[in-house]
Amino acid sequence: MKKKEYFHYNMFNSITKIIKNGWEGFWRQGFLTFATSLVIFIAVVLGTSLFFFQGGISYLIGEIEDKIDVSVTFKDGTLRATILEFREELIQLPEIKKVDYVSPEDAYEAFVEKNQGNQYMEALELLDVNPFLATLRIQAESTDQYTEIAEYVRRSAYIESIAEVNDYERGAMISSLRELTQGIQGIGIALTIFLSLIAIIVTFNTLRLSIFSQKEEIEIMRLVGATNGFIRGPFLFQGILCGLFAAAFSFIVFTFSLFSLNQKFIELFMGFDVLAFFQSNIIIILILQLLIGVGLGVLSSYFAIRKYLKN
Amino acid sequence: MIDFKNVSKEYPPSIAKESKVAIHDINFSVNPGEFVILCGRSGAGKTTILKLISCEEKPTTGDVFFNEINTRDVNKSEAYKIRQKIGFVFQDFKLLGYKTVYENVAYALEAFNFNSKLVRDEVMQVLELVGLEGKADRLPKELSGGEKQRTSIARALIHRPEIILADEPTGNLDPYHSRDIAKMLLKINDTGSTVILSTHSKDIVNSLKRRVITLEDGRIIRDEEEGVFSL
Repeated sequence: MKKKEYFHYNMFNSITKIIKNGWEGFWRQGFLTFATSLVIFIAVVLGTSLFFFQGGISYLIGEIEDKIDVSVTFKDGTLRATILEFREELIQLPEIKKVDYVSPEDAYEAFVEKNQGNQYMEALELLDVNPFLATLRIQAESTDQYTEIAEYVRRSAYIESIAEVNDYERGAMISSLRELTQGIQGIGIALTIFLSLIAIIVTFNTLRLSIFSQKEEIEIMRLVGATNGFIRGPFLFQGILCGLFAAAFSFIVFTFSLFSLNQKFIELFMGFDVLAFFQSNIIIILILQLLIGVGLGVLSSYFAIRKYLKN
Repeated sequence: MIDFKNVSKEYPPSIAKESKVAIHDINFSVNPGEFVILCGRSGAGKTTILKLISCEEKPTTGDVFFNEINTRDVNKSEAYKIRQKIGFVFQDFKLLGYKTVYENVAYALEAFNFNSKLVRDEVMQVLELVGLEGKADRLPKELSGGEKQRTSIARALIHRPEIILADEPTGNLDPYHSRDIAKMLLKINDTGSTVILSTHSKDIVNSLKRRVITLEDGRIIRDEEEGVFSL
């Protein structure tokens, strides 16, 4: 029988053999597979934590921005209709996110609720009248627009009815907060890049050690005439398996710890509901973990095996 | 089939070693179906010649032709095409310790993307040829030195190569098993395969009565039909 008749160069056969050899290597290597998966697991946990960190930062920025506003206090006796008319005008501006009208009664009630039983409450009771004035609380789309909004209010036709535009003490705070949030986000991005680089280097070295231990096997494969693709394939598949294993384990660890420790996390992260964030981003997190795990596994395997396929 | 034309090979210096001329201006040819013994002391250049044939090394000067293909023109990603025509037998067997005899031999066929259904028949046929049909399920550690080398020969034969390169295949074996391996290589040669055997064993060289190329310090000092050991 002619030699050529024996050969079936079909892609399915090759892939099956590559997967089979990769799977065998994954289990046979035992400790090294575990070590590689562990390093990738750490990288996946790191990457996922950074995603949570970014989520937490966004939450905090949102929280702080929600608490910042420009308060426009109207003179006593200003008609409610006038104030609401001005509110309508302000809402039309693209820079403004929302404008809340707080009537003197609402302000009184809010004060009572907040200061129940303390000395301020006693002082208020002594006055016997409602000392609060009607206000408009304006929130901007962006923190850098508060000064412009305050200027707009001062130039408006309603200035005669306005007692106070309160942005003086907040202007500096708003601007420094903006710088701070930008700084925190910058640090977060830099930290992500730095830690990712470390993860890549550590994973690459662990896999290199794993592949080094199979140096003789690679040499034999080369000498029996295996193509570079056939030699590389099982190692890349091993990398994929380590990545999948690490991503799955990391997903389980995150799910378990968030479900059991969420209340503690909420206290620790100033009200940031980590579990709710996890649940609403579950698909993104799963994809992110798979991408980090499998990506690290495959890339590191590719570069680690390259050295042995040079001749 | 194989042509060495004015071939020299010099290994560049490294931190631990000075540069070394492994072979110097060598010329010889091997015809299809020939049995050639490369004879010489350790370091004479025998292994370098085998590495040049299998494209593991490139000559520093001169040209090596394999089936009229200049190995200089074969780039690293294409070297497998040459190696698929070669069967290797090594002094240290180079068997995969975690695979059985059967798997070690079948493994070479996997690299060729061989049809799985035919693998078993082919492997059993070759194991029968080397007398290991009853030990297919043994691991290498359960075999004697001679049996390990037979497994290595079975692996070298499984893809029906055009040439067998045997690098000191009897180096780790006792005289009885050495003769056994030598006979087996003769048997393979009788089926039409070209064999190049590197050895420094006087008994093997003298018993085979085939062409002997004697090397000394990287040079060919003798090339005789039915040669004898003379160092």
